[in-house]
Amino acid sequence: MAKELLLALCQDAPSAARAVEALERAGFPREEYEILSGAPYPEGAFGEKPVKHRVYVFPFVGALSGFTVALLLTVGTQLSFPLVTGGKPILALPPMFIIAYEATLLGAIIFTVIGVLFEMRLPRPGLGLYDRRITGGYLGVLVSCPEARRPQAEAALKEAGVLEIKRHPDIRQRW
Amino acid sequence: MEERRILSDTEINLDLLAPVYGTPRWFWPVVGLLGLVVAAAVGAFIWMLTQGLVVTGLNRPVFWGFMITNFVFWVGISHAGVMISSILRLAQAEWRRPVTRAAELLTILALLTAALFPIIHSGRPWRTLYWVFPYDFARGIWPNVRSPLVWDPAAIFSYLTGATLFIYVALLPDLATLRDRSLGWRHYFYGALSLGWRGMSRQWRLQALVGILLSALILPVFISVHSVVSWDFAVATAVEGWHATIFAPYFVLGAIHSGVSAVVTVMALVRYLYGWKAYIRPEHFDALGRLLVAVGLAWFYFFALEFAFGLYGQDGPEVALREMVVFQMPWAGLFIVFLLTAFFIPVPLWLFRRVRRNIPLMLLLSVLVNIGMWLERFLIIVPGLARKEPFTFVWGSYAPSIVEILLIAGSFALVCLGFLVFSRLFPLIPLYDQKEGQVLRQEVEVGRARVKAVIREE
Amino acid sequence: MSEASLTSEPQGREPGIAPGVAAAGLSPLLRGGWVFWLAVAVLGAIFLAGLLSVVSLWQAGFAHRAPWGYYAAAFSILLSTVGAAPLVSAGLRFTGAHWRRPLARASELFAVAGLLILAWFWPLLRLVPASQPQSSLWFGWPGAPHLWDTLVIAGLTLCGLALLYVGAIPDFAAARDQGARGRRLFALLALSWQGGERQWRALRAALTALGACYFLAFVLAQTLISTDFAQSLVPGWQDSLFPAYNVVSGLQGGLATLIVVLFLVRWWGGLGAYIGREQFWALGKLLLALCLLWFYFWWSGFIVLWYGRRPIEELVLQLFIAGPYLWAFLPAFVLSFLAPFLVLLWNGVRRSILGPTFAALLVLAGLLFDRIRLYVAAFSVEEAGPVLQALPAPRLPQAGDWLVLAAAVAGVALLYLLATRLIPSLSRWEVAEGEQLRVERAFLRRKVTVIAKPD
Repeated sequence: MAKELLLALCQDAPSAARAVEALERAGFPREEYEILSGAPYPEGAFGEKPVKHRVYVFPFVGALSGFTVALLLTVGTQLSFPLVTGGKPILALPPMFIIAYEATLLGAIIFTVIGVLFEMRLPRPGLGLYDRRITGGYLGVLVSCPEARRPQAEAALKEAGVLEIKRHPDIRQRW
Repeated sequence: MEERRILSDTEINLDLLAPVYGTPRWFWPVVGLLGLVVAAAVGAFIWMLTQGLVVTGLNRPVFWGFMITNFVFWVGISHAGVMISSILRLAQAEWRRPVTRAAELLTILALLTAALFPIIHSGRPWRTLYWVFPYDFARGIWPNVRSPLVWDPAAIFSYLTGATLFIYVALLPDLATLRDRSLGWRHYFYGALSLGWRGMSRQWRLQALVGILLSALILPVFISVHSVVSWDFAVATAVEGWHATIFAPYFVLGAIHSGVSAVVTVMALVRYLYGWKAYIRPEHFDALGRLLVAVGLAWFYFFALEFAFGLYGQDGPEVALREMVVFQMPWAGLFIVFLLTAFFIPVPLWLFRRVRRNIPLMLLLSVLVNIGMWLERFLIIVPGLARKEPFTFVWGSYAPSIVEILLIAGSFALVCLGFLVFSRLFPLIPLYDQKEGQVLRQEVEVGRARVKAVIREE
Repeated sequence: MSEASLTSEPQGREPGIAPGVAAAGLSPLLRGGWVFWLAVAVLGAIFLAGLLSVVSLWQAGFAHRAPWGYYAAAFSILLSTVGAAPLVSAGLRFTGAHWRRPLARASELFAVAGLLILAWFWPLLRLVPASQPQSSLWFGWPGAPHLWDTLVIAGLTLCGLALLYVGAIPDFAAARDQGARGRRLFALLALSWQGGERQWRALRAALTALGACYFLAFVLAQTLISTDFAQSLVPGWQDSLFPAYNVVSGLQGGLATLIVVLFLVRWWGGLGAYIGREQFWALGKLLLALCLLWFYFWWSGFIVLWYGRRPIEELVLQLFIAGPYLWAFLPAFVLSFLAPFLVLLWNGVRRSILGPTFAALLVLAGLLFDRIRLYVAAFSVEEAGPVLQALPAPRLPQAGDWLVLAAAVAGVALLYLLATRLIPSLSRWEVAEGEQLRVERAFLRRKVTVIAKPD
């Protein structure tokens, strides 16, 4: 069955919390709506559950790849042209450690950013149902429910006193 | 009182995006002036390329002069961003909010500027860059990883990439705000950069998480960058005054000292130029001042150790070098100015709350620190090379030429210009961070008094 | 509004203190009973046995430094554990961390054990020559190093005792007013404290000043001890980072000591309600940072000497790292940095009580090996020339050396245990103040913790 999208705009955080409560009372499960806001709120302020993610895996993978690359690079270049400099051994571990350290952390940083963007589900080609007033202080409750229950959601949201309910994306807002 | 006014999201947007939408009257004249200085520096560089390094003051045995000093100085300044952003983010210090973006930006601009200088200094960059990039695969000659001159680019590249990603991830929500408030090409520009950010609670949660993760990951890089720069000098046994084990932490602390002071300078200027009195408040300068007391004292301890252990071995040349720096002109004059401006004037004054909350005075003191810290680098690098020994056959000395002075002036102008360009495109104070500050803001009654308070998240 | 009027509130009206704080605050840190006195007896016996070992060293005389190596290492360990532990409370008070409040007293009580540092220092004085032929930080300054080093160590101890005492005055007053046993003594100690606004302001100023003084004295003491009693004994060894390395590893040791003691206090004492996961989590983070700093300071010294490759530099690296004391360096490296780093890397582990405690135990073991490889090695050098020529033979610990080390630990524990009998276990006024500045409140659909931040 097709899913229907609804965006309810609220003037402030308490009314968004009320809208969420109304949806809960109307029997909408948590997965069917989402809060959009222009500022971060403490986790669970709107009754949302802790976010599940795998961001922590990424830095380890990145660190490992960075370390491997650095190791191959330093070992390879030193062995391929074995010239003794400054009385140091051909495979001089301390300098290799320094290069490997930088590369390990660089790998970890790059992979962390990639991982977080992935978990944020970004980049996203279009904004879909959105309202630009959200970055101006409004909060949005984005409901995605089966078509049949749309009227129910609308009624619950209206009763909670939301400002406006949008059903179609803004044409001017392409991003 | 103007401190801690309640601000609505609309007000925050209007105030902090003002430089993006409007142009203050001073803007173009200042950009023009800075552009002129940068142009002069570029001209000097081209002149140097055509004439060779002979137009600089570099001379045997002093091969490292103003340009390397300036390189170390700007790498030092670049430590501001991560120091402020990461440590304060990890410590959940509330006063970080208006400071982080400008500090991170300072990191990137300073680092880019710093990276130019070894390249300029090499005289003919296209023929010397093989020290970093292998230029001839066929002959199988590679950069020498045992040389600190290779560690340097590795560390700086990691730091630059990390800091850029750090500032970008922190910009995402603000880019979305700009996207929602712009039309035409700007709408597409910010739209593309904001990657379709919508402010879902999941995204906010992960955005906070990545701030913490990146802070923790960048801190070790941050420490390593100036350490590696210090090893450019410290691993060399041949130059007196350079071969000291303490150099790495000594340089890092000096970098934090000058970097945080530079943040104070920037904050004071930005507050004045854009009129952000409600955002950058005396309490922020107070906190930065207290931080600087601790940093300044720690730096001084390392300075004292470095100096004392130079004499400790009672090694003739080492002692003679210190004598030269302390008693012989022109070094002695520079040394006194360095000590006064880097430590003895600002740090004792910062002990007073009234000084820390006096913004013009803070501006002055922070500029003083950086004059002193520039001199510190100069006094570390040059005297050791300039001191005459019995078997020195070339008795050249060092005085900067006009080319070098122009290049130095150009580096300062370049960083300022970078700030102005950035401020035309992006907000210098994170909008969402300010809004979050308003969300978390609370008051608590203690006895009969109302005390400002904040929601603390784990 | 001023801080003083803020903090005078809880004292002004006693109900401001939760009944739990009032009761727990005045009881001793550790439960009494026969277990306590048995512990005191056992520790006393160990301490006495160790003292006998010191006496035999004494009788052998001061002509040779080498036999005193473990004694010197024990001194540095004392300075780096007991000497640094009060800094945890003093430092966190500076940064205004609320979670420090319940552990302030446990941290500052170590100042009492600081008396042992002073006593332990005395024989060491006879082991360094007054006028050192080679390197010294003193450059012929009169009375150096003996007089000045003694003054710094004494200053450190006194400053610590003052810090402990001043911070405890309001609690002595409470014990006096609530008619605890030993009322008269408490009345004497409380100095007719009433808790007026002026007194609170003075108390705060004194605590700030004493905390800063203690920190400065600690840094100075580590600097001088590491230079006069290690570095200048090895001719030609020039390492400007070494004093700072001692400071950092000392702070690490102090933090680890406190973590272990907090674990014992939770288990054996009555403070389980106050000292919990929050404290261990926060301390674990600090310990992780200090472990990383340990590596950074060690590495920064190492790379410069390794790269320099002058003969003396190679000898110094041999002496402290790769040569006769490799057996001590390897565990020091693993236990001070590698193992605790790998343990504390995981947030889940940091956020427990056992995790940070385990890491702290590793760190303490690492500190033991680290100080052995540094101080025993330095003391075993008996050459007097301008530059070290040959490596000394390794000195493995003998039975007497073990006893000396054990005596240091037992002496500290003994003093600490006895001090807990007298001094209230909880910095009651700080905890009470913290409870006022921290409120649970509803925010939209959840409960949040709100923390007040008076200027």
